[in-house]
Amino acid sequence: MNLSRRHFMEAGLGAGIAGAVGTSFGLSAMADPNTMPAWHLGYQNAPASGFEPSPMKLVFGKAPADLKGSLYRNGPAQLSYGDQYASHWFDGDGLIHRIAIEDGQAVHQARFVETRKRREEQAAQAFLAPGFGTLGDESYSVQGPDDTNAANTSVLVVNGELLALWEAGSAFSMDAETLETKGPKTWRDDLKGMPFLAHPKVEPDGRVWNLAVGGSRVGIYRIGANGALEDFGMVDIGRAAYIHDWTMSERHLIILVQPWVNENLRPPVVAGFEWQPQHGLQMLIVNKDDFSNQRWVQAPPRMFYHTGSAWEESDGTIKFDAAFYKEPVLGVDGGTAEIRGEWTGEYATEEGVLTLVEIPPQGDAKLTETALIGEFPQVDPRYRGKHRNLVALASGASANRPGSTALAVHNWTSGESQSFMFGDNRMVEEFLFVPKAGGQSDLDSWLVGPVLNIKAGVREICVFDAANVSDGPVCIWQADYAWPLGFHGTWA
Amino acid sequence: MTRTASFAALLAASMIATPIALAADLTVNVDSIAKTQGTIVLGLFDEGTYSGDGAVDGANLKVEGNTVSVTFEGLEPGEYAVKLYHDVNDDGEMNTNPFGMPTEPFAFSNDAKGRFGPAKWDAAKFSVGADGTVHTITLN
Repeated sequence: MNLSRRHFMEAGLGAGIAGAVGTSFGLSAMADPNTMPAWHLGYQNAPASGFEPSPMKLVFGKAPADLKGSLYRNGPAQLSYGDQYASHWFDGDGLIHRIAIEDGQAVHQARFVETRKRREEQAAQAFLAPGFGTLGDESYSVQGPDDTNAANTSVLVVNGELLALWEAGSAFSMDAETLETKGPKTWRDDLKGMPFLAHPKVEPDGRVWNLAVGGSRVGIYRIGANGALEDFGMVDIGRAAYIHDWTMSERHLIILVQPWVNENLRPPVVAGFEWQPQHGLQMLIVNKDDFSNQRWVQAPPRMFYHTGSAWEESDGTIKFDAAFYKEPVLGVDGGTAEIRGEWTGEYATEEGVLTLVEIPPQGDAKLTETALIGEFPQVDPRYRGKHRNLVALASGASANRPGSTALAVHNWTSGESQSFMFGDNRMVEEFLFVPKAGGQSDLDSWLVGPVLNIKAGVREICVFDAANVSDGPVCIWQADYAWPLGFHGTWA
Repeated sequence: MTRTASFAALLAASMIATPIALAADLTVNVDSIAKTQGTIVLGLFDEGTYSGDGAVDGANLKVEGNTVSVTFEGLEPGEYAVKLYHDVNDDGEMNTNPFGMPTEPFAFSNDAKGRFGPAKWDAAKFSVGADGTVHTITLN
């Protein structure tokens, strides 16, 4: 926590804010400021046509000369039709953003993924498709998972192909430059319509591993850096646990079977989940070279959405970090109240605890909780599956509104944490590691991510030095409009 | 007496009507076939057979363009429905992915679509009249 830095930030951005207030035209369904709190900007609709490429303004600091690439992000950006609100945050249509950064300039653009759900609901100007938290209209036909695909959770770039990811259906292929939708991705003819989880794991050499989850049966994809499917196999995890994320070391896939179980996957899906803590958190360790070579490991009951990444010690101990909860949160009511601009503060104390999981060569797993509370853990892409120092999180829950207020970094080697408090006026999202040119470790990285400035009603992209997060941002670009909160991104 | 007369009248009527009824022809056209290969496997059902294993009639239609057509002759006028799939690789099966979802195109009469299952009889049924019917299904 660093109050002086926060105050400095707000003073330093004063000029930019003054110039931006009143020009916030980005959101198509601006809520009545007399009835909606300022933070509701994070849950409003984006324009139906998205955002044309538009330069952002450098309002603070100096952009790193070596920072070159695109931050792609995805998130639900259609959460109401008139006075009909989405039943669940996970069910809004995916809006794909690209913030292209080069020569100190940042340009933002965004397009919705043109799914069948999007097309038909836009035509009807109403929610029709069933979903994670939505019963759906009886007239809306469903002949496969892609009929309900919201394509709203994350993005992946493999061999230059941009994919919009959901978790219960196909990835959607997109044009990486124009963000135009091409269509559902079929990895192999016999795998048409198989789910492709929104948390693929990319090895440092570009090979991609991912899961297809269908109740207690889980498919494993191995995709080469050239984008071609190399292998696909099936494993059984014993029960239909909710799987949003998982983790991977250099030699193993680690499938976390949390005791949040749904044996009847019918809409609204979330209503069918049951918390069964008696099972604890079980983990299936699968050998990457032989999917039939498996081992089960037991841990105390925990619920989770996201892991950082795993590594293996020389004695075979597997370690990974994750944001763990004592019981299910968010998914249960899905931000229904927040979408409507309501906030009770009920969830302010139910935050993920950054936890280190140690799986010894034999026996049960050991959990060690840190003092760090947060979500959206991220690691340096050069060290996925390998030993590393840092994990970054969106942190600092507020009692006054939903969302995070801080960026935090924990160093597993030194045991120290750093954070930067943006304060109540900014909602902080996932920050990604971008390796510095010629860097020697994950300490030599930039952290790049978006915040929503709810006071000025505009979006900002911030860059931090990963080793010195508490020093505050290195630079900030500001758009002259806002876009709603999202989930996950990738740097390419 | 009345009953006998009725029976005789009915019998006479049916003897006259039967040849006409059996002459009812149904032509099913299948449009918009994406791949010019394989076979359209088509089943014709009445209400009694729609949800079971059997069919009233059926046809295997070689795909040599983007449409195929078949005529069922001598049907009893009434309500029918069609289920079909495109056996693209000609392996004689409707292929599915590991989770059981079809990976080959399929369709129902009226272009009816199901909701977490096949289209319902009420959505897929259509009438075949004594003077014949042409029914077109769009595959993709």
